Amino acid sequence: MASMQQEEPERSAASIVEFCRFARDNGLSIGVQQTLNAIEVAKTTGVADREQLSFALRAVLTSSKEEWGRFNDLFEIFWSNSQRSSHPTSEEGQEVRFRTQRPQASSRAMMALSSGEGSSSDLEGKDVSGASAEQRLQKVDLSDVPHDDLAALEEISLRLFRKMSLRLSRRRKIKNLADRVDMRRTIRRSIPRGGDPIDLAFHGKKPYKHKLVIFLDVSGSMNSYSLFLVRFAYALQRYFKNVNTFLFSTNVVQVTDVLRNQDLSEALRGLSQRAAGWAGGTKIGESLKDFNQRHGTKLLSRKTVFIILSDGWDTGEPDTLAGELRAIKRRVQKLIWLNPLLGLDDYAPVTRGMSAALPYVNVFAAAHNLQSLLALERYL
Amino acid sequence: MTVSQAFPEDKEIKDVDSLIQRFEQLGYITDRALATAVYLVTKLQKPLLIEGHAGVGKTEVAKVLAAMLKTRLIRLQCYEGLDVNSAVYEWNYQKQLLAIKIEERTEQTVEEKEKHIFSKEFLLERPLLQSILADDVSPVLLIDEIDRADEAFEAFLLELLSDFQITVPEIGTIRAKYVPYVILTSNRTRELSDALKRRCFYHWIDYPSFEKEKKIVRARLPGIEKKLGEQVVRFVHAVRQLDLTKPPGVTETLDCAQAAMSLGKHQLDVELVEETLGCVAKSQEDVAKLKAAGIEKMLS
Repeated sequence: MASMQQEEPERSAASIVEFCRFARDNGLSIGVQQTLNAIEVAKTTGVADREQLSFALRAVLTSSKEEWGRFNDLFEIFWSNSQRSSHPTSEEGQEVRFRTQRPQASSRAMMALSSGEGSSSDLEGKDVSGASAEQRLQKVDLSDVPHDDLAALEEISLRLFRKMSLRLSRRRKIKNLADRVDMRRTIRRSIPRGGDPIDLAFHGKKPYKHKLVIFLDVSGSMNSYSLFLVRFAYALQRYFKNVNTFLFSTNVVQVTDVLRNQDLSEALRGLSQRAAGWAGGTKIGESLKDFNQRHGTKLLSRKTVFIILSDGWDTGEPDTLAGELRAIKRRVQKLIWLNPLLGLDDYAPVTRGMSAALPYVNVFAAAHNLQSLLALERYL
Repeated sequence: MTVSQAFPEDKEIKDVDSLIQRFEQLGYITDRALATAVYLVTKLQKPLLIEGHAGVGKTEVAKVLAAMLKTRLIRLQCYEGLDVNSAVYEWNYQKQLLAIKIEERTEQTVEEKEKHIFSKEFLLERPLLQSILADDVSPVLLIDEIDRADEAFEAFLLELLSDFQITVPEIGTIRAKYVPYVILTSNRTRELSDALKRRCFYHWIDYPSFEKEKKIVRARLPGIEKKLGEQVVRFVHAVRQLDLTKPPGVTETLDCAQAAMSLGKHQLDVELVEETLGCVAKSQEDVAKLKAAGIEKMLS
């Protein structure tokens, strides 16, 4: 780097700006402020010692372990580029290799679900009306809903989910009315009364907000249930502020933003564009691992309630599943597994995946009909 | 150098190399990368965020920095639910109540009384306020395990870390006369906000290399036999490959070596490792995993 030493200060500042741009193009989150800092730092340490410059720039330009790991490569590529012209970022070969590639969203439609593909079995009675119809529908197994009743069930479910969500938020408020005496305000108020604390002020307790992470199985075996479970997630997300929803089968997609949509059918259409491998096989362990790596630090905390909606038919390794669940369990407040199959009379959670998972699950409950989903309120 | 007027003590650290040396004299073995980051902190008055596994010496950086600069170390241990009252300031209520009683018969108006009982005399300084009130030299402020505090507190820190000022509604805004050197540590149990990260230098401390860890053991336990030290380090390095839930950090290496020394052993054998397994493996599962992997194999 003898040549760099002789460069004018402006030249080296310009190179650093160029490097910042290069690093930003390759996924480091660098703003104008960071660029300015980088120039300042380079001035402090000098640009003569290349190793030192790399350490200094790394301290300024990275902000996580991942970025920290990638920095050295970027630095090497940029500065070792001997024929660095006025546009060093335009060297296609290196750039393409370093740009992160987004996985192609599968265009498999999930519209089939929203249009009501439920089996039209006649197992349940039909000719009941009014309130009793509603009660009956609440108990119908979600995979067995007669085609005619789909619309009705959909409407009821949305209404009930909404009620439940409202109840949950209201309950929180009432419970937290008065808590401790707020000494600071009490003294303030006591001044005009000669120092006697007559008007007591109270600390309102901060509303304790749960974070909800919903992990929804959309693999083939869950097909008949997914339709309603997506709605369930949708309803929860509308009335709770802090809900993150993920769909998984063999891989994971986050759909939180899609479900934020005001209009349900619009949201479902968005989902169909997002869902990759919809209705394929299931790899719960792998999916959870992927989730842990990408979102774990951000979403899991003592305030998080983690809900998995899945039948537990896992084609992956049970050990992976157990390991990832243990990692999640350690960090969250509660781990809830809702299994639609639990509604069947003769079901026992003996599949390899399910039995590996059970030791780490706080609540293991059914999710086969509307009633069982509504019962979830107790655990939130 | 306008900066050095504010920090008269930093004339000792001319460059990164002398900083490495000074750290080493104080028993902290460091590499150029970390030394550069710390050097920048002393020069540019920006906070440094250090992340890394448990027990790799994150907190120690702040302690050694304070020792090197011969200044005070102010430590704020973060925890869930940490609030402004215990991190920044609190009014001394008992004293205020007494003052109100005493002033009852005086001729002062209510406004005067209020002004009096909300003056600095009644202010209890907590770590963050202490750090900007220093009136001789810049202290080192260690904000430990910031990832445990909640997001609201993190947001509060932003004002302090960018402007080094704190606003107490009853008194006004207090500016730091001597800007503290700020070290934040995090165990990455959750992601910190981008706004906070943007204000800090960043450094990731990884597990040390074999050579470096040997040096650390020698520096921290001067009486240790060379062979024993090497064995312990090699063993711990093997354990780290095992994918335990809590992999041993440097602290554990030192514990293990210390244990072996206190037991009067001259070398690490299977029996000794089994007796002192608690130094390295911190949960039942990890102990089982370690045993399954074969202690004997890891010692060879």
